[in-house]
Amino acid sequence: MEFLGLYPTWYEPGVGSGWIVGIISTVHVLFSHTAVGAAIFFAFLANYAHRHDRPDLLEFIRRYGLFLLVFSYVLGSITGPGIWYSTTVASPRGISALIHNFVWMWATEWVFFIIEVVGVYMLVYLANRVDRQTHLKLSVIFGLTSYTTMLVIVGILSFMMWPGKADWYTETGVLHGFYGPNTFAQLAMRTAFMFTMTAVVGGIVAARFPDPAFKKDVARKLAWLGILSAIAGVLVFRWYLTTLPDTALLVMHNRLPDWFPVGVMGMLAAVGVYFLATLIQPRLLVASGAAAMTLVVLVFGLWPGEVARESIRKPWVAGQYVYSNQVIGRDVPGRGIQSEIPLIEERGFLQTLVFLPEALRQVTPDNAVEAGRVLALTTCSNCHSLSPTGMRPLRDYFPAEVDQDAIVDYLHAGLASGNTLYMPQIPFTDDEAFALASYLATLSGPAASGAPRTARQADAPTDLQATQALVPTLAASAAREMNP
Amino acid sequence: MTPEILYALRDPAGVPTHPWLFLILGALTLALHMAAVQVMLGTGLLTLRGAYSKNPYWRRLAAHLLITAKIAVSVAIVIGVAPLLFVQVVYDPFWYTSNVLSAWWVIGFILILIAGYIALYVFYWKNHHLETEGGRSGHWLVLSLALLLGVGYIVHALTNQMLFPEEWLAWYAPDGIIQPDGQRLHYAYPLRFGFFIALSLPVTGAWLLGYRRFQQGRPDADAAYIAWLKPLALGLLVVGGLLAVVLGALWMLTLPEKMAWFAASPWVYVALGALLITVALPLALGRTLDQGYWGYATFGLGAVALIVVCAMREVLRYFTLTGSHGYDALDYSVHMDWYSLVLFLLTFAVLGGVTLGYMLTVAWQAGQTVGRYRPSPALSRLGSLSIGLLVLWTLAYFGIGFYVWAN
Repeated sequence: MEFLGLYPTWYEPGVGSGWIVGIISTVHVLFSHTAVGAAIFFAFLANYAHRHDRPDLLEFIRRYGLFLLVFSYVLGSITGPGIWYSTTVASPRGISALIHNFVWMWATEWVFFIIEVVGVYMLVYLANRVDRQTHLKLSVIFGLTSYTTMLVIVGILSFMMWPGKADWYTETGVLHGFYGPNTFAQLAMRTAFMFTMTAVVGGIVAARFPDPAFKKDVARKLAWLGILSAIAGVLVFRWYLTTLPDTALLVMHNRLPDWFPVGVMGMLAAVGVYFLATLIQPRLLVASGAAAMTLVVLVFGLWPGEVARESIRKPWVAGQYVYSNQVIGRDVPGRGIQSEIPLIEERGFLQTLVFLPEALRQVTPDNAVEAGRVLALTTCSNCHSLSPTGMRPLRDYFPAEVDQDAIVDYLHAGLASGNTLYMPQIPFTDDEAFALASYLATLSGPAASGAPRTARQADAPTDLQATQALVPTLAASAAREMNP
Repeated sequence: MTPEILYALRDPAGVPTHPWLFLILGALTLALHMAAVQVMLGTGLLTLRGAYSKNPYWRRLAAHLLITAKIAVSVAIVIGVAPLLFVQVVYDPFWYTSNVLSAWWVIGFILILIAGYIALYVFYWKNHHLETEGGRSGHWLVLSLALLLGVGYIVHALTNQMLFPEEWLAWYAPDGIIQPDGQRLHYAYPLRFGFFIALSLPVTGAWLLGYRRFQQGRPDADAAYIAWLKPLALGLLVVGGLLAVVLGALWMLTLPEKMAWFAASPWVYVALGALLITVALPLALGRTLDQGYWGYATFGLGAVALIVVCAMREVLRYFTLTGSHGYDALDYSVHMDWYSLVLFLLTFAVLGGVTLGYMLTVAWQAGQTVGRYRPSPALSRLGSLSIGLLVLWTLAYFGIGFYVWAN
């Protein structure tokens, strides 16, 4: 018997597992990019301080380093593995694909992590106990090492969008998956953003310096860094767009929330005004203002950025061969990977799923709703909430007016063929389509609640009867999906 | 779960090097991670004990160990990334299933660890003058230790759940109804958890012997303080070591039926021997302990003993899954990727070895220096070499990258 190697599903009805990954990722990007940028800025400042005999700048490095220890190396170092943990439970086959392709690259990054952590502790605790040359060397090692961590992870993140080289599917070596135009464009974009974050967060510490002349000096350096990096960020973003697959651009233009571009542009404008103001009048640099700017960048810059990055690679989650619902949707001959779509088309999900109670292998009128719930959990819930809250709730796509036959028609049309933008190819058998439609019809009923209902909670015959009364407006929803 | 099902869950991408390398590296890096965790717990506990003592030596020790504990958390986290990576490579069907079935606890792990670490920092911030003024706000340290133990317990449960594929479907779908909330930890084994936690006492004892030797190297060494440390370290080592051995023996004697064979295997005796030799070493050394670098030897040998214990744990897992469930982690299909393997090995052994060698030597020597530290010319050259290797690595990254892109 051939099985479909899907793991159990974790379903979080409140906000959805995807949002939990997104929140952790966003927070981690804030911490990690700030840490990397600060490390490079440290190296620059240490060099400047030693060349111009400015020990006061070394004190800045020490104090900023202490702040960074908690801000980036405590929270950042935990939320980093935190992304692994959260994707492990939200998208196990997605993270597995990345790990099985890039394990040695990640192990290489781990070596740099260790050097980086040792470095930050040495810069903080030995700042006043080692001679200048040694301090300078430690600062340079710290800066270079921090940046190498970004160099490694960007290649893997780029692969999540699509492999660097088109022949990766046949050649499959790490080099062909890791390097490509998207890798370098993304690296440039993240580098620019990293310096912007350094300038913003650095202001929180610089604002506290009692010496006005020193504060003015540092504030101006940070302001220039912020202005130049923000301008560079806008320019390289345009380059980044040219390195995306067509489908990603289509999704970007059609599927992202309307407020995203407005929010990002507003954030950039606010950052520009903020840095211009602190450049012209450094005493305007206050800790609360810098902290507020950090929050603005987090909410209006990072959040849309991370959500967009997650969204535009849909329906894939890794290398354009693992679908967001964990099914492998494409052959990768170089690794002997075969698409699972033919197996599903031939035998369906219920006959091939590993984690399925035997009673649900065959759809009957009595178990249709429960079988449909399991199918929705397995094939939909990664991207669509089964409850009224969370990510793109399914009930919004199947309002009460839609009848069950229309749902079945939709499942057999756009989904089965894989011609729905943003959606994986999901070929249900007739029984499965009936079961899923039966379940979907219950979502908009009067009994629909926040948690996904089980067969125990739902009276299946009643639900089925209720679906007969639905009005066929699903076609409009389906058309919206198929013609964005 | 039949072998056929377990193999169906395996990632079809295969692995880029023979799986034995991942198993070995997994056990090695887990041992290093465990050492950091055990130092963190042990030094945290001693800090709590010493911070409220009227004995100035206890308070001095607490002040020093508080910094050790704080850094040990960072080290534990960063080293812990490696075994977390390698377990996913060769045991993916087991690790991912176990995690998904307890997903809320997996997410909770992150939040609890953050809370535990921040609580430790709060205690640190409130105790800048711990040595002279004694401890304040000890509840933050108690909270921190409790939370850090909590995250250890979560990982313990996740690791154990991997070993019971026969229970997975019942955990996922109790009474035949799928419950995808991931809100429960399904299997824990307190004796096994207790064994690994109890090891923090002898490991910390060995750490204290090394700390004591480090203090001896300072020009302003306090002989009375150093003498006071010795019975404390030996007591932790002997009493804690015996406690760990007792808990380990109880764990072995009560192993679940399918693992019971392991209790009588040679691996158990090898691990037991390694632990007992570590405990006995400083006692056997006698006065030699204070000569040369012998003061560091116990911790070094303890690290080797931890590697043996972690290898034992890996053997138990490997043969349980092979023998009882027909899943052989070593028959993963290999798609050799020489580039990334060589890149890792060079980065780890050459760049990492040189750079960490330089940094840790500087840290070690600076810690034993009164006043401003200036490294020897040879050590400074090692620092320059580290920078050169990092620049070379970065240039190679871009050089190779542009070449691949252009082709």
